[in-house]
Amino acid sequence: MFIKSVYSSLQKYRFLLHQLISRDFKVKYKRSVLGVLWSLLYPILTMTVMALVFSNVFKFSTPGVNYLVYLLTGLVMFNYFSEASNLSMSSVVANFALINKIYIPKYIFPLSKCLFVGINFLLTLIPLYAIILITGTPLNIYHIFLPYAFICLFIFTFGMGLILSAVSVFLRDMFYIYGIVMTLWMYLTPIMYDINLISVTYQKFFKLNPLYHYINFARRIILYGEMPSPFTFAVCALSAIGTLLIGVIVFKKNQDKFIYYV
Amino acid sequence: MIKINNVSMRFNLGIEKNFSLKLFFINLFKLKKEKKEKKEFWALKDVNIEVQKGEVVGFIGSNGAGKSTLLKVVAGVMKPTKGSVERYGNICPMIELGAGFDMDLTARENIYLNGAILGYSKEFITEKFDEIVEFSELRDFLDVPVRNFSSGMVARLAFSVATIVDPEILIVDEILSVGDIAFQQKSENKMRSMIEGGTTVLFVSHSLAQIENLCDRVVWLENGTVKKIGEPKQICEEYKQYVMN
Repeated sequence: MFIKSVYSSLQKYRFLLHQLISRDFKVKYKRSVLGVLWSLLYPILTMTVMALVFSNVFKFSTPGVNYLVYLLTGLVMFNYFSEASNLSMSSVVANFALINKIYIPKYIFPLSKCLFVGINFLLTLIPLYAIILITGTPLNIYHIFLPYAFICLFIFTFGMGLILSAVSVFLRDMFYIYGIVMTLWMYLTPIMYDINLISVTYQKFFKLNPLYHYINFARRIILYGEMPSPFTFAVCALSAIGTLLIGVIVFKKNQDKFIYYV
Repeated sequence: MIKINNVSMRFNLGIEKNFSLKLFFINLFKLKKEKKEKKEFWALKDVNIEVQKGEVVGFIGSNGAGKSTLLKVVAGVMKPTKGSVERYGNICPMIELGAGFDMDLTARENIYLNGAILGYSKEFITEKFDEIVEFSELRDFLDVPVRNFSSGMVARLAFSVATIVDPEILIVDEILSVGDIAFQQKSENKMRSMIEGGTTVLFVSHSLAQIENLCDRVVWLENGTVKKIGEPKQICEEYKQYVMN
């Protein structure tokens, strides 16, 4: 019954969702000269900087596989999470003027942000694949399983977005706290380094991080040309759906109270 | 038809005090009794109103009497603390127009965005697009970002988008005073034609002349409770007397 009501409200508000996403695109690029091109250029340039810093200055490398591809795979996915969860967090507070005047299902705001950044994410796959081809990393049939990791990443991010957007209504300090958490989270996720650099005793703590598994899933395929293990498949799906469930419960329980915190 | 059953609405006035980290920690060390001491404010207290289909009901009362809160509860923006609201028919809420506008988008883009926020479909907006533009008289400014509009122009555009539907229930909060005199006349005429079409209207205004002109019944709210309900002429007269004293 719950799923049915979500479906019917999505049907009803599909056009609004579409409008919110296209609004984000228009506003983002309206006053810039290069416009949508920035969606491609921005990740390429920031990733180039990171790649230069980490491979040349810190001399990071990954044995057997191309470090650049290794880094970018992790970075592209982590950046999606970081940007989407951040925008989702502020989406409800930013739309208070609307929420206070018209009834709109409130989950639509974090959802539209996750989708908006998702489209940008798909665009960043273009430079990623360009690098894969340029560096001569061989393609393989398992690439067709990559969307599985991306969908899990999306579901996880949306779940986090629901939690964060609800919490930040009551506790505006979240905006600052989360910035710090994100920095820490980024260094605790094996993006620039291999998890095997961590001593075995600590590795299991690193593996509690769902993002590690989504990135690992993609790396297994892109870099090592192998099918991710059934365990990886299961962990990805369970962590994503679990987070979404928690998000839905937290959001649903609190959404009627949002209006008092305007 | 709208049924407002025993609706009460409570606000905590001191609400933000409890939600900074600093005060959160201070509160940890406070006695339990002190903590519970919140300033409560009942914006509505046991309000019972029944509105028939096609009826036009006006709401009057001083600032802070609970008029806007009541309309928001009916519109579904707020859930009542106690009681319930039954509504039959689709609602068009016109509470502070233009809330859904994005100042960086053009008028054309905002018509679609605002329409979507009001729950219209894409086909519907496309079909009614010319009508909206015609009514707002802003055809020459369609591709100008709304941030360059005057506030009167924004209000005209918002009114035109909001009134393009034929809703069964129309909720109007002080919006007939937007735009210049010519547009005010035009929007009042539009309201009239909607009323004649059988729309149920809930209407808040500080203009007693407007209320007497348009409404079948008037509700006088005072401190969150219904003070009087009845004939527009009679209630408005009594209200005037009350305010004068």
